[in-house]
Amino acid sequence: MLKVENRVTRSQFQVLVLTYLVVIGALLLRYFSLQIYEHEKFKTQAEVNRIRAVPVKAPRGLIFDRSGRLLADNYPIYVLTVTPEQLTDLGALFQRIQAVAGIDSSLLSQNYQHYFQSKYLPVPLARDLSFSQLSALEENRYELPYIHYQKIPSRYYPSPVQLSHVLGYIKEIDQATLSAQLNQGHRYHPGDMIGWKGIEKAYEDYLKGEDGVQYFEVDAFGREVGQYRDRPGEAPAPGHDLFLTIDLDLQRTAERLMQGRAGALLVSDPGTGEILCAVSAPDYSPDLFTGTIREQEWEEVLSDSLKPLLNRLTNGQYPPGSTFKIISALLLLKDHLIDTTQVFHCSGSYHFGDRTFHCWNEYGHGTVNLPKAIIQSCNVYFFNAIQKADLNALAALAKEFGFGSPTGVDLPFESAGIIPTKEYLTAKFGRRGWSTGALLNLAIGQGEILVTPMQMIQFINLVATHGRTPSLHFNRQAHTHWVQGPQLPDSLWKQMETYLQAVVNHEHGTGKLFRSNSDSLWVGGKTGTAENPHGEPHAWFVGIARYHDISRTVVVLIENGGHGGEVAAPIARAIIQQAFTETNLFAER
Amino acid sequence: MKTGTWLHDDFPVHVILAVLGLSLVGIIALISIGLSQPGAWYQHSYVKQILFLLIAVSLAYLVYRLPVSRIHKYAYTFYGLGLVGVTMPYFFHRVAGTHRWISLGGIQVQPSELAKVFLVIALARFLSDHKPENLKFREIILSMILVAIPVGIVANQPDLGTALILFAPLFPMLFWAGARPYHLFLFIAPLLSILTAFHTLSFSLWGILLLGIIYLSRPTLLAGVTVYFSNLFLGLLSPYFWGLLKPYQQERILTFLNPEKDPLGSAYQIIQSQTAIGSGGLFGKGFGQGTQTHLKFLPVQESDFILSVIGEELGFIVIAAVLITFAWLLIRILRTSYECRDRFVSLMAMGFSIIFLAHVFVNAAMTVGMIPVKGLPLPFISYGGSFLVTSYIMLGLILKSELKQLD
Repeated sequence: MLKVENRVTRSQFQVLVLTYLVVIGALLLRYFSLQIYEHEKFKTQAEVNRIRAVPVKAPRGLIFDRSGRLLADNYPIYVLTVTPEQLTDLGALFQRIQAVAGIDSSLLSQNYQHYFQSKYLPVPLARDLSFSQLSALEENRYELPYIHYQKIPSRYYPSPVQLSHVLGYIKEIDQATLSAQLNQGHRYHPGDMIGWKGIEKAYEDYLKGEDGVQYFEVDAFGREVGQYRDRPGEAPAPGHDLFLTIDLDLQRTAERLMQGRAGALLVSDPGTGEILCAVSAPDYSPDLFTGTIREQEWEEVLSDSLKPLLNRLTNGQYPPGSTFKIISALLLLKDHLIDTTQVFHCSGSYHFGDRTFHCWNEYGHGTVNLPKAIIQSCNVYFFNAIQKADLNALAALAKEFGFGSPTGVDLPFESAGIIPTKEYLTAKFGRRGWSTGALLNLAIGQGEILVTPMQMIQFINLVATHGRTPSLHFNRQAHTHWVQGPQLPDSLWKQMETYLQAVVNHEHGTGKLFRSNSDSLWVGGKTGTAENPHGEPHAWFVGIARYHDISRTVVVLIENGGHGGEVAAPIARAIIQQAFTETNLFAER
Repeated sequence: MKTGTWLHDDFPVHVILAVLGLSLVGIIALISIGLSQPGAWYQHSYVKQILFLLIAVSLAYLVYRLPVSRIHKYAYTFYGLGLVGVTMPYFFHRVAGTHRWISLGGIQVQPSELAKVFLVIALARFLSDHKPENLKFREIILSMILVAIPVGIVANQPDLGTALILFAPLFPMLFWAGARPYHLFLFIAPLLSILTAFHTLSFSLWGILLLGIIYLSRPTLLAGVTVYFSNLFLGLLSPYFWGLLKPYQQERILTFLNPEKDPLGSAYQIIQSQTAIGSGGLFGKGFGQGTQTHLKFLPVQESDFILSVIGEELGFIVIAAVLITFAWLLIRILRTSYECRDRFVSLMAMGFSIIFLAHVFVNAAMTVGMIPVKGLPLPFISYGGSFLVTSYIMLGLILKSELKQLD
């Protein structure tokens, strides 16, 4: 084709030839110097001082409660390894180990397949050897060539509480995570444990620590002949200790109160965002995932219809029921859609279009104004009143209270819940698939709406602090930020507080089982009874308790428990009482 | 065309033999590595490598048979497709934390490898469309933009090693095309001003060198003074700007420039790799006898550190043979590019030779600790399908420059 003639000059050519010669010549010189000039030095190094770097596992950071009581600890476990080398009959070795120490030979061969890297490197065969297994293997050492033990730190949870959904657990790193971190500094090796759920996962980087390294001399066949003296190893740097906001005593009471039930219980300090106790029931022993998991225990946990592995605190999603009336009432008041003297008549049910909506009190509440509608939790009042409002305005206010998005509490995998807007309903049911009935339902916290207990405690914290509370957290040293709720006039927040106080203290209040014995303890709250398709309604209670400048908020959810005022309120009262016993109260002041 | 139609009679058989010889050395090293690996023989990497080699040679032949006019005509189309290619991994899941690979039916492909081919062709086309006397600042800037786009995408994947390789042909090709060396120098100078600024002696030496070069190039007084002082000024300001960055930003830049730094990692790798090569001596420890290799002291010994396996088991003799073969091959490519009558083909072949040289240098220098560890394979020798195929495709295109009669 020859489109343009080549006109490279001789000097251009020579410059590049010279460059190439210099570059490759430099490489040749360097290799010559290494392989010929310094050969003896490296030969000795390779022959005599074969150095192998063996990682030394760093112990994970410990986890304590708010006053320094231990929640998660480490203890050493022994791992049985084999260095295959010239070993020909693995099967026979595994059979022999089974006979001596009673470890299933199929498990040994399974682990061998899984962890094999090279025939010169030790392969882990079994972990968590008992003392009797260790001594039995040691007694028969002469007929078990090539086997060794490694001591590695392992996790256990010594405290009297379970706290399993908060602590989470650690698990052996999987292949995907392992290869994903290869480019980020090779911090993990096959067989390493890594935080998988809860605090253990959320603070993995903080708790993990840096593995150290020990240098071993190995002989020509790769057998370790001792520690390498000329090169000191690096000691492992243990992970950082973590102090949680959890109060061990309160947590113990909370777990006792929730025993035999399904649901969630949270107590927090709205002034700091600290969570003092957190139960997701039923739970499991945190030691379930440490050491060897017994098949039977696993089966029990997995087949339990109440799903003990589900973290109801952040991933259980429920309709909030009448607790949502706080938001409906705030909307009606803030937009001046209604005044507190206006009344509606409650006959126990309400006809709207071709549907009948019921009040929980089938005999009706008679003539109802706003305070009475909150105190006695009258649905019919809200069915009437909410028609002055717009569905999206109500949804927007709910979102300002943090519903519909994760709270950002320091636990992984938090659910967002659902706040139905017009757009959401149209997308789900079609333009004609829903009607104003959805607004009526939302006003009493029913229908499409779903919330998590964690969102509920953030919500009640916003109410308790008049719209601005520090973010929720479990780590005492966590950096908090301000969660900004809706900006309402202070008088309106105070008005809502008097209603919430009346819910508990009025003679017909639905929350009277939350009432306090002491006059100096201010209490208020709201009950909720969330209808659901899975049987009995879910019982809710959200409450605030205040003694001088110390505040505590509480959320109780009992799945399929019945009426919030009858089932959830007494539990909330018991835990708040514990939170304000003298020791707790005055230790903090 | 006496020998039939499938090969031209001036076909450079010795070039092919040299390259296949290099690949053979690689396969021998892979077979040795396979000796101490678990699994049946057909699971070992050398079997896959032989398959890759067959594919690569066939593709090289197909490319060799393509008429030059076609390559010239569709140069920018290829370039566009190449850009789409390097963007593809962003639509796939990250592999090992980067967007380097796409997986096609279970095979992982690295499109940035092919970008090397497209980029050099496009650059050769652009530069060959301009006569040497027409290569002014405007053309230099345009060719820089041509290179900067794929380099930016690949660096963002992040794959700094490949980005460096993609950047490597730019200045040599501009020089080959006849751009004024002084102009090219003006573009490199600011970079050197920034880099030397952190070391007083280097910066002083650089200042003197800069003055000398400017003086010898005889620009107008105003231009010379401007260039000189703007460079000095840039250098003096850069430590200040560096200080303005937050520590985590500095850390991020340093990690980006040297991602492999870690306590158990690169320093240890280099010591082990040097020990392997040094202990090999003149004749090596013999095939399958490398203790460093078989005790798994060396990571990624199949791809990036394959020279340490060769050095340990086969000795300096084979290392020297490999390096001299590369030198002979690359200088031969330069000579044919110099003698080639077509400007486009000449630039293309020369650009590919730079890509090869950059790979050889970075890989061989890293293996013995002359430069920080960068994961780049050795052409024709290292294990890995994408780069082997790319290397042979480049070879097929280079052979175009050997033809007396261009179609």
